[in-house]
Amino acid sequence: MRLGLLFLGLLLLGPILSEYGLKLVSEALILGLYAMAFNLLFHQAGLLSFGQAAFFGVGAYAMALLVSRAGWPFLATLPVAVLASALVAFIIGFLSIRLTRIYFTMLTLAFAQLLYAVAHKWYAFTGGDNGITDLRPAGILGESLPFYYLTLLLFALGVGFLAALERSPFGYALRGLRDNRARAEAVGVDGFRHLLLAFVLSGALSGVAGFLQGALQRSVFPDYLFWTRSAEAIISTILGGSGVFLGPAVGAAAFLFLRVLVQANTEYWPFFLGLLLLVMVLFFPRGLAGVWENLAGWVARGVRRGAAGG
Amino acid sequence: MALLAVENVYKSFQGFLALAGVSLEVAEGSFHALVGPNGAGKTTLFNVITGRFPPDRGSVIFQGKPITGWPTHRVARLGLAISFQRAQPFASMKVREAVTLARLGYAGATFHLLRPLGAFTEALDAAREALAKVGLEDQADRRVSELPLGDLKRLDVAMALVAKPKLLLLDEPLAGLSRAERRRMVGFIRELLRREGVTLLFTEHDTEAVLELADRITVLHQGRVLVEGNPEEIRHDVQVRAAFLGGTA
Repeated sequence: MRLGLLFLGLLLLGPILSEYGLKLVSEALILGLYAMAFNLLFHQAGLLSFGQAAFFGVGAYAMALLVSRAGWPFLATLPVAVLASALVAFIIGFLSIRLTRIYFTMLTLAFAQLLYAVAHKWYAFTGGDNGITDLRPAGILGESLPFYYLTLLLFALGVGFLAALERSPFGYALRGLRDNRARAEAVGVDGFRHLLLAFVLSGALSGVAGFLQGALQRSVFPDYLFWTRSAEAIISTILGGSGVFLGPAVGAAAFLFLRVLVQANTEYWPFFLGLLLLVMVLFFPRGLAGVWENLAGWVARGVRRGAAGG
Repeated sequence: MALLAVENVYKSFQGFLALAGVSLEVAEGSFHALVGPNGAGKTTLFNVITGRFPPDRGSVIFQGKPITGWPTHRVARLGLAISFQRAQPFASMKVREAVTLARLGYAGATFHLLRPLGAFTEALDAAREALAKVGLEDQADRRVSELPLGDLKRLDVAMALVAKPKLLLLDEPLAGLSRAERRRMVGFIRELLRREGVTLLFTEHDTEAVLELADRITVLHQGRVLVEGNPEEIRHDVQVRAAFLGGTA
């Protein structure tokens, strides 16, 4: 219901936005989907993946390589981007999930950096650090408004899927494994297979985000696979709040708009970002979405108290 | 044939021999107690039976089927359910959700990604029934994290009962409970499980409760079976007295 209103609002927003506004909101939706995919692992399954860039980058490169080297139409590359990132997630997940906590996190980071190194050095295939450019989708999707609607559609499908997943037995099983793995396995839940599937789903959604980002930027570079790209998912999630369903998407939007705002006025974006994260983690650990919920709670209580007093 | 047979099981941790050749048979329909001082190997034996870790040697046979080294979730799906000593059910869920998830887990039916948990009516009914059995039906919509310890214990038992288990393992079901709660839990175990025809293997330090509940008692000491018998025999056993008084048998 609330999700439906959000999607409707974003739908109506399209024609009002300027060319620049469309690009910015598209990018926020893409980063939002990517952060929500990360949070499926982080919040629901209790896994801190520091290698989400691997799947983001594989989705982007699958699209870019097929469009530029094989001449595929842009949209036709979507299923391949999804499958390729899911496959890479399956392999990395299969090898990482047996490890726990910090070892899992470090291994996901290592795999992503490995892929970065490959993309960076393999000039013949990926173009190395020259990247793959000139990726404007042919036809109507090359225009900003139709592309915005494609982005919104995929964002809505992805977020709708995650919302259903959260309430499904699978979502509950992931939470059970996070809350108390020994108990979950003692009631018949196969921990490894559940976590692996969650990892693959998260990877596939991250791949969709990478696919869109490459087309939005008209280019794909190895930095799509770099660890800072993984950090963007984590930062967005911390900023927005991992415990609230749409928190990561809210955080992604805030992250991008703040970056635009700060970069227009100073050169110290990383400094402001660091300061902001510090404040969030220390004083608002539930993120912007959590602050919002608190405010709504206070207002509601205030209204009730006011009514009782009057 | 015994419902559960443990044969000559060894398990050591970093040089410490926790189980040194334990053999045990649990007859179908019996209430079998596993007693012994702390460190005797009771919880280790439970962990070997439920597959949390494999034994170094020996075998575990359930309903005539060797299950040694099986992963925990597969053991659970056979109808061998456990309630832990430290009851920490899923803290982020509501009581009803935790038991419903357990039901679907035993059935191997948690790979549904789109249908909401609330649409699984058979599992919800089973959860309601299990909660009613432990007297928590009016707490079904509470958050697990809000429950006091006594209720957590009963919830954990409900999460085992919802499997309709053939064999139920209870690891110190009375630990941490108040005197009143203990009486209640003992009465509950005796009446309910007898009625349901569940076979029980349990550990407990409360000697009085053990003698009241069990029809078979195995005494573990330093990773070995010291003696086994019915409550009357155990009560008068000299070795047992020696072990519990701290002497050497």
